[in-house]
Amino acid sequence: MTDAVVIGAGIAGLTAALRLARGGATVTLVSGGLGGLQLSQGSIDILGYAPGLVGRPLDAIDDLAERSPAHPYARLGSGRVASSVGWLADSLPGVFTGDPTHNMLLPTAVGVARPTALAPPSLATGDLRDGASIAVVGLRVLKDFHPGLVASNISRVTLPDGGSVDATSAWIDMEARPGEADTSPLNVARAMDDDAFRRRFGDALARAAGDAGIIGVPAVLGIRQPGVWEALCHQVGRPVFEIPTPPPGVPGMRINTTLTDAVRAAGVRLIMGGRVVDHGGTSSRRGGGATDAAGRNRRFPARAFVLAPGGFESGALHVDSRWNVTERALGLPVSGPPADQPIVQEDYRGDHPLFLSGLAVDDSMRVVRPGTDDPVYDNVHAAGGVIAGAVRWTEKSGEGIAIASAVAAADAILKELS
Amino acid sequence: MRSLETDVVVIGGGATGAGVLRDASMRGLRTILVERVDLGQGTTGRFHGLLHSGGRYVISDPHSATECAQETDLLSRIAADAVEMTGGLFVTTPHDDPEYADTFVAGCHATGVPVEEIPVAQALREEPRLNRGISRAFRVNDGSVDAWRLIWGNVRSAEAYGGRALTYHWVTRVLRDGDRVSGVVCHDGISGEDVRIEAGFVINATGAWAGQIATMAGCHGVEVVPGRGIMIAMNHRLVGQVINRCDPPGDGDILVPVRTVCVIGTTDTRADSPDDLAIPRDEVQQMLDAGEVLVPGFRQARAVHAWAGARPLVRDSRVSESDTRHMSRGMSIMDHRERDGVSGLLTIAGGKATTYRLMAKNIVDAMCAQMGVDRPCRTADEPLAGSESGVGIAITDRLRDREADRLDDQIICECELMSRTMLTSLLRDRPSVAFDDIRRQLRLGMGPCQGGFCAYRTAGIAHDGEHGDIARANGLMRMFLTNRWIGLHSILFGDQVRQAALDDWIARGTLDVEHLPEADALPSRPAEVEA
Repeated sequence: MTDAVVIGAGIAGLTAALRLARGGATVTLVSGGLGGLQLSQGSIDILGYAPGLVGRPLDAIDDLAERSPAHPYARLGSGRVASSVGWLADSLPGVFTGDPTHNMLLPTAVGVARPTALAPPSLATGDLRDGASIAVVGLRVLKDFHPGLVASNISRVTLPDGGSVDATSAWIDMEARPGEADTSPLNVARAMDDDAFRRRFGDALARAAGDAGIIGVPAVLGIRQPGVWEALCHQVGRPVFEIPTPPPGVPGMRINTTLTDAVRAAGVRLIMGGRVVDHGGTSSRRGGGATDAAGRNRRFPARAFVLAPGGFESGALHVDSRWNVTERALGLPVSGPPADQPIVQEDYRGDHPLFLSGLAVDDSMRVVRPGTDDPVYDNVHAAGGVIAGAVRWTEKSGEGIAIASAVAAADAILKELS
Repeated sequence: MRSLETDVVVIGGGATGAGVLRDASMRGLRTILVERVDLGQGTTGRFHGLLHSGGRYVISDPHSATECAQETDLLSRIAADAVEMTGGLFVTTPHDDPEYADTFVAGCHATGVPVEEIPVAQALREEPRLNRGISRAFRVNDGSVDAWRLIWGNVRSAEAYGGRALTYHWVTRVLRDGDRVSGVVCHDGISGEDVRIEAGFVINATGAWAGQIATMAGCHGVEVVPGRGIMIAMNHRLVGQVINRCDPPGDGDILVPVRTVCVIGTTDTRADSPDDLAIPRDEVQQMLDAGEVLVPGFRQARAVHAWAGARPLVRDSRVSESDTRHMSRGMSIMDHRERDGVSGLLTIAGGKATTYRLMAKNIVDAMCAQMGVDRPCRTADEPLAGSESGVGIAITDRLRDREADRLDDQIICECELMSRTMLTSLLRDRPSVAFDDIRRQLRLGMGPCQGGFCAYRTAGIAHDGEHGDIARANGLMRMFLTNRWIGLHSILFGDQVRQAALDDWIARGTLDVEHLPEADALPSRPAEVEA
């Protein structure tokens, strides 16, 4: 019997496992897949839009909590969000830069100035500043990054202070793997891990960028090898920044590796490729979980559980063909969407009730019956995207909710264990 | 205002209009087709894709059944590039009247529809997902058709004979010279200018919109009632052949494998307007139940898209019975000289995609008779452009093509194996296309991810092209995502929800497309239409 089983290996599950293990608990983390970090943009969003552009995310959380009591931030509060994000950043030295009290504006792969709170330095260098002269440079073999689109759009952005930037675009013709015309961001990142390739790329980049003061490239500057970005900046003699691509997203993969290593170093036992297939225990306490890792069922008894499997995007929340919404791992009761209405709106840009649904939780992230404060089980907590009340990708709040809820769940469990 | 002059104007870019364009052009008439949006954006692009063996009509409409059987046989040769002869089965499920099967077979024999009863065990071997409770099975000559390839094949053939098709040309006026229709005025939605086309004859092939055009010509009382039917595409071919319920025609009685998907259809409800077709949730449930009857477990499969089409059902109290003497039931030609005293205008509506060529022949025959032109129809005598080899569609075609060019080219749409060269060639030929036009011609975004990955890539490539204009690229990308959702919101369940959440995470989360600088420059609609 371990102290805690964490289900899910995204930023919520990994953060919960790290917090629990650092707090002295014995922890097993089980996950059906690789976790969602590779699908993310690779930065820590706290709150980007509410619904207007947010400059000071912690202040905006307090306003949001007042307006929307069903939002996860109403349970968590800005204080716990700030301390949790700060703790994770401190636990992974050198990975993130920035400050939870201020959003930066980082260009996306379509050239939108996207708000986010903390980011790896290679992304954060792209924080848009008035008067910047930017060259955006892509690789022709990489179809998931179009520098012309980025440059044309960021040239049209008006920054919150009224400022603007000037951007040009260029292509580099370089194969990431010999003979391959079509490649992925991950393949290019692997090629960049090789010094000779990075140097050839740097030479081409310096030429392509002309006399721009700062250079934007797709987020492909190395995956395993540290220091690729720093070496490139040094080589071209100007700041270079990375722009996240659609998945697979290399910055998220790097964070996933670092965070998983930290979790492992803290003594957590990791069971990957194990989907939860059963759970046992009494009516008020779960006794254990079972997974079907490696083709056979195994039981993982524990004193407490953190359910952090993600939302609809991971399949943890499921809709059947009659539009019933269920939580798949433990069969917990789901809050919303209303039964008598369509689960999504006809207009793509609408607010879709489906994506606001999920598990209801109390202040310690214990899963409760929707509309009440009654715990479903005394020892089951939730973290991250499975929690109801936020469309994380629209408001840019995914990592903030995940990290703060994971820390809150872990702390509640640690308190009970002691 | 630009001016053109021609022998014939065809209004409507569906299968019928394209067929008329080809037929008239092949008879040596200078012909121009005008379509208000893209070719195949109306009813022809919104059906289940069935090329009828005729079996469905042997009892209810024997004349149509015979025509279908003959036309399907013909199209499998002259339009091979647009057709997959999948074969089809009529099966008696536990929900069907067992008596109907013998009536059905007798009807097939009477109408010349080829049919062969096969053992149930044989049917289940061929289609292992089929309901194991079926009691009888009959093989028929069904196929499926890529409606857009069919239309473009007709247009390209017509072009070789001097015909032209003008897309995004919205008819705003029908010109009259006394009692004679003398042409049309169109609004060109791309250039924004108006175009006047003088013509000796106008053919109204606008299907469910035919009443609107007739009214513009001063011919009133042509009422075309849109019969709305919904269809749902499942993400792969649950069956390899067309599966029909062996029962009198009803809702949800057919499952058609078309290209990479299979389509269950359909319903039939009177709609108020062909431009506003709902996909009601109860009809979605009805289709899923119907799917369960044919393929148990259907509800566990993944629905990727739904759409609604408008059957053009003609109601016209002022047409005498003699007016339909040229045609079969189901298709209806209106002679406005007899009906309204207006010469130079014929309206055609009704019918089905399978018999589009025959409909075109009938109306061009009628037009030639009025024009005093004596030239026979030759559309059955030579293949459509692209079908010269006579080789039909196989689901593996693109896999073979990508296997050949995978080291030299990029795959922009992985779901449908659409290459970068396919895209850039089309952008070169038709610089003003919207992404949905690309979809109709190249299947961009029609697979399980529904544009999640390819919309961004296409925007980047379109913007890089010669005609790149950032406001337009932004507008096109956003319009594509918005339009894909129209076919998704009513059928979101199972793994397609997971996909939609991931797609949304990419588009709105990672890329933040919602906050693109405002964008437009998309095809414009006419400010007003004169009636």
